Amino acid sequence: MEKEAVANRSEGTARRSFSLSNLTFPLLPFFTFVGFFLLWPILAVTIRSLKGNKNEWTLENYRPLIHGSYFHAFVVSIKLASITALIGALLGGLFAYVIVNSAGPKLTSVLDSISAVFANSGGVPLAFMFIAAFGTEGLFTRFLKAVGWDIYAGKFTLFSFTGVVMVYSFFQIPLMILVFKPALQGLRKEWSEASINLGANSITYWRRVVIPILTPSFLGAFFLLFAGGFSAYATARAMTVGTVPLVPIIIGTLVDGNVISNEANLGDALAVGMIFVAGVAMSGYLLAQRRANRWRTT
Amino acid sequence: MKISLNRILTVGLVLILALLIFILPLVAASEFSFRGAGGKGHSFINYVWLIHQEGFVSHLLTSLQLALLSGILNLALMVPTAVLLHLKLAKWRSLVEFICILPLIIPVVSLAIGAQVAMPKFVQNSQYELVFFFVIIALPFTYRTLDTSLSSIDLKTLVEASRSLGASWPATIIRVIIPSIKGGITGALFLSFALAIGEFTITSLLHWDTFPTWTVVAAQQNILGAIALSVFSFVGAVLLMVMIAMFSNRRKSKSNSQLQEVAP
Amino acid sequence: MSNDKNSSRVSSKLELNKINRKFGHVTALAGLNLTVEPGELVALLGPSGCGKTTALRIVAGLESADSGSLVVNGVSYLDKPANERDMGMVFQSYSLFPNMTVAENIEYGLRVRKIEATKRKQIINEKLELVALGEKANSYPHQLSGGQQQRVALARALAIEPTVLLLDEPLSALDAQVRSQIREEIRRIQLNLGITTLFVTHDQEEAMSIADRVGVMSHGKLEQIDKPIAIYNNPATPFVASFVGQANKIPAQVTERGNVKVLGQKIQLSKHSAEIADGRSVTALIRPESLHIVSDSDPEGTSGQVVIKSFLGPLTKLGITIEGGLLVHLNVSSKEVRKIEIGDRISIMIVAEEVMVESA
Repeated sequence: MEKEAVANRSEGTARRSFSLSNLTFPLLPFFTFVGFFLLWPILAVTIRSLKGNKNEWTLENYRPLIHGSYFHAFVVSIKLASITALIGALLGGLFAYVIVNSAGPKLTSVLDSISAVFANSGGVPLAFMFIAAFGTEGLFTRFLKAVGWDIYAGKFTLFSFTGVVMVYSFFQIPLMILVFKPALQGLRKEWSEASINLGANSITYWRRVVIPILTPSFLGAFFLLFAGGFSAYATARAMTVGTVPLVPIIIGTLVDGNVISNEANLGDALAVGMIFVAGVAMSGYLLAQRRANRWRTT
Repeated sequence: MKISLNRILTVGLVLILALLIFILPLVAASEFSFRGAGGKGHSFINYVWLIHQEGFVSHLLTSLQLALLSGILNLALMVPTAVLLHLKLAKWRSLVEFICILPLIIPVVSLAIGAQVAMPKFVQNSQYELVFFFVIIALPFTYRTLDTSLSSIDLKTLVEASRSLGASWPATIIRVIIPSIKGGITGALFLSFALAIGEFTITSLLHWDTFPTWTVVAAQQNILGAIALSVFSFVGAVLLMVMIAMFSNRRKSKSNSQLQEVAP
Repeated sequence: MSNDKNSSRVSSKLELNKINRKFGHVTALAGLNLTVEPGELVALLGPSGCGKTTALRIVAGLESADSGSLVVNGVSYLDKPANERDMGMVFQSYSLFPNMTVAENIEYGLRVRKIEATKRKQIINEKLELVALGEKANSYPHQLSGGQQQRVALARALAIEPTVLLLDEPLSALDAQVRSQIREEIRRIQLNLGITTLFVTHDQEEAMSIADRVGVMSHGKLEQIDKPIAIYNNPATPFVASFVGQANKIPAQVTERGNVKVLGQKIQLSKHSAEIADGRSVTALIRPESLHIVSDSDPEGTSGQVVIKSFLGPLTKLGITIEGGLLVHLNVSSKEVRKIEIGDRISIMIVAEEVMVESA
């Protein structure tokens, strides 16, 4: 009797585990791929960043990050990300609002596609275009000189912090439009009409309904833009090698240049540091998204 | 809604602002790209110069090849995954969604370093390692596109209907599932292709040579030519997207009116 | 107090006069005239596009009228901004502010009117009692069912003690069972408060069951406005006859003026039908309850074959194909048709004093 029970139990377990693997097996390619090409590299670089010259566990590699020029690079990178995210959020939010309220469906989808292209621009072509427009021989520069404003008379140069801010805004603003527009579209006409009907004016409606509802999405979008502005590499690389201290660029030079043995692990530490900052931003994004979805009835 | 002077002013102002921010740099860059030799006059000379550079064709082909491979691999990996998630394995959805957001969180730079540390020698010695990483970078976009497309159809019902009519699994996949999400598949393919063809960061950090990286080098010789290419690709991409958007809208309304003719 | 039926605060007279509204080329309202007496519940009934919602929104101030006048208690309202009209409106769905609790939603209009906190609380509790949702005061809209949400919407509209209550298809988005419950509640509360109410719907059962008067609309015009029973028994136009209640459409012919030959019977033509010349072919509109089963030997009867038998409780609906393959429906008491089965041949006859026709 007991043997039977045991046999039944193990048969049941076998059947259960068979059906379980029946279910997860189809997803195995995905998990294997992502595990090998995404998770493992990240894990590997994190591990290596925690190892010293003699393969011992240490935090030595992180020491340069908390003071001096590397710390400064983080500060500059964060500043760049914050400022461009803010510009993107405010202007992009404004544009998104106008589009949602004033553009017909056909125009909206055209603008959507254009925004998608602009938002994914960045990289080298974008840098070149701005150099063309605002460089010393650019059309803009000439035009402004013609109206009396020689932008290069002072210390302005495109290859500076300000220049990078200008260029980054070019893709941050459309990205904001893409990410934030759905939230604006979620504002139901019935709410504004109910508010009017109950006697309130627009200011009250904005203050008591729109702003509370939109704030989580707005903040979430800001965090997304921040993460993007922080991690961007190609554009800055084409414009600022050496002139503006940004963490991605520094990592790039460490990789390109001669790698002295302990500098290799410094690059790892910097890379992990970047993951950390971007990770904090993205958690902000995810939390804000969760908050924004809290009240959804549909 | 009442159209007031107030509203027209606001919209007008915003339009002008948008124009200033986005169109003017494009126009200025375009003008720059048409400048003739020695910076005098205007001509197509810059556009032609780049094409004649040694390495233009070879690098372009390399990029096209890598982009195509990564696009196909992306689809091969993500279409079954997304379909499965929508059909039966719903409880894995949040995990997969989170994983597909990771490439947005993890800076590409860090991924590049990680690749150097983690990938075995035989992988790192082939430029085809880029194909895999292009797929990873495109993951958030392709997954989102496929997911949206699958959410807009009732996949379960379609599959059940097909199976109950006697179709085998392969037939169901080919004749029901794939046609239903054609839009999503094309979109995902297009996105991953576009991303791969313009990818610079991980390519340059892993010391490979594709079209974008080659352009930067060529730019050092003739900045005008590089600018010409940039303008060309940018404007071209915008026009292409606009045309696709308008075309897909017209197709939608055309099929709607066709339906109306058929229905009594 | 607000429950005083004679207080002018809750009983207004609403007058719409020659209201016209066009959207581009489409005429939404063509010279609408409508009066709602104080304390009355008038239902505007009609298919989509008939203009009923446009009329309601013009009263609310959410749409403007091209011409005409809107008078409330003798005061012209057309130029009054929508947020100064003191009317309570309940929308079809999704109108509760999602970021506020039920209590805060109800409070919204009160805070706008700068009513102080203790009085606000009192009113909120009152209205929640009214719609029987006292225990949901601190819930959020997404935690409530559709029916509960609409009750809160009603409480919110009533909290501001409006002079007029406007309801825009408030039940259309709800499940069938919930629908009849809530429409009774709405009527009960409306009678209790004596509040002038305009109720828009496309569901004739809804309109007929709770309204004092029903206005049937089509193509921007009011076809008929009268008590529900009058609308049903004496439809003024063919549209009303076929929209309200069911109507069989049977080919007929106008004989000498004033009479119609249909199914072999000669019946007087309804005076509301359009002027149609003798000898013309028309379509007669016959209610199912006007068709009776007679014995097969009756000379005035028409023979037909039973193809449908639907049990509806006390009544059974029979579908009969008669000459020419035409399918007509009749409602008979279930007891009477116990012996009749599908496939049987029976004879039917029209029993009516007059019949309404429309052109063929």
